[in-house]
Amino acid sequence: MDTPQTDLSAVRRPIQQARGLPNAHYIDDAVVAEENQAVLASQWAGLAVASDVPETGDAVPLTFLGMPLLLVRAKSGTVRVFQNICRHRGMILVEEPRKIEGAIRCPYHSWCYSTEGKLVSTPHVGGPGQNTHEDIDRSLLGLIEVRSHIWRDVVWINLSGDAPEFEEVFADLIRRWSDFDKPLYHGGANSQFQLPVGCNWKLAVENFCESYHLPWIHPGLNSYSRLEDHYNIEESGKFSGQGTLVYRQFKAEDGSVFPDFPDVGEKWSDAAEYIAAYPNVLLGAQRDHAFAIILVPEAKDRTVEHVHLYYAESDTSEEMRVSNATLWKGVFVEDIFVVEGMQRGRMGSGFDGGKFSPAMDGPTHCFHDWVAGKIQGYRDNTNQPAQAAE
Amino acid sequence: MNDLDQRLLAAHDAEDYAALVGLYTQAADAAKDLDAACFYLTHAYIFALEQNHPDQGDLHARLKAHGREE
Repeated sequence: MDTPQTDLSAVRRPIQQARGLPNAHYIDDAVVAEENQAVLASQWAGLAVASDVPETGDAVPLTFLGMPLLLVRAKSGTVRVFQNICRHRGMILVEEPRKIEGAIRCPYHSWCYSTEGKLVSTPHVGGPGQNTHEDIDRSLLGLIEVRSHIWRDVVWINLSGDAPEFEEVFADLIRRWSDFDKPLYHGGANSQFQLPVGCNWKLAVENFCESYHLPWIHPGLNSYSRLEDHYNIEESGKFSGQGTLVYRQFKAEDGSVFPDFPDVGEKWSDAAEYIAAYPNVLLGAQRDHAFAIILVPEAKDRTVEHVHLYYAESDTSEEMRVSNATLWKGVFVEDIFVVEGMQRGRMGSGFDGGKFSPAMDGPTHCFHDWVAGKIQGYRDNTNQPAQAAE
Repeated sequence: MNDLDQRLLAAHDAEDYAALVGLYTQAADAAKDLDAACFYLTHAYIFALEQNHPDQGDLHARLKAHGREE
């Protein structure tokens, strides 16, 4: 069956003439399914953070685009992502987060895998008490590994396996934030939270990457972070976001501040940047702490925002970390009614994707243009006619 | 049902996999023939592998010696 194709030509025009993505990209199952393949499965998407598996043997089952995955810190210390299925009968291997002491044993027929993904035993496969068979080549039956890469503690995956190298795709962003290329210390259990939101994941990206909404949705920021102190970040085909020139450090009641990232440079004394690393990771970089938000799509109109806060040192004040997490959670919660309202707004048949402000909506248009470009590329690849047989 | 069977079932019920390594090894040692012994040894070995139990090397060696494991 042919996938219905949306007309994306208006999305790709210059911002002055452009429209946003059509409603179908937020509400139509078939269109979202095509988009998920083009924009999430075929790119480097955020899945989790390496801090989710801090110790060797830690294993966390996850679902991404409906696919069962297993995040593991292998015995070697390497963080790996596998499809969470046994090569025998496709049984789910790990149901709950837990520590793998030795091997991953399938709960069905007990085929066993190492944390590196190697098939290490196949009990009774050749009959009772006979654990080998000439047609069972263990070297060909390891866990199916998903291509992954870790940057800024985020575990990025490329489900299709054929995207260009991560460092190539994100070269400009890595270079832009090279001042922050320092060890990040996750703040721990009190520095992470999840926000389930009733919207397509793209709306969370769109809201994050522009500063236009700040004075209306986050009036508390007005006193020290006015709209005119922000600038747009637009790297066509790569990433977008916003920066501020008046970043103020978090201060405890007694005036204490978090330690700065070492040698981060004068430039960042009063500046900070917030960038959407396409497709689904929202990053913040500041002199004294950072954050990563991974947008996990649960359905076309449901997303879970996984928020993680990081510091420059491992032994910062827990009380301050809790206060800081509370502060950020308050800011992010203020955005929920907006993204959920825009999702419901996509049911309005007269909405044409929206008219952008050429001055203020550049980062959002940049994202839409990227999405449309990836979908167009995906369509071009999948619609190529098969070679005619001789 | 003999005492060993009862202890095996109790260990399964309790999900006491460390105990199962020892109990299945006992069952293998008491088995009447090689096939039965390797059946029990396999169970002991698999639970040892899962638990990173110190007996896993010996159990693997026993199975391999009988051509039952790689």
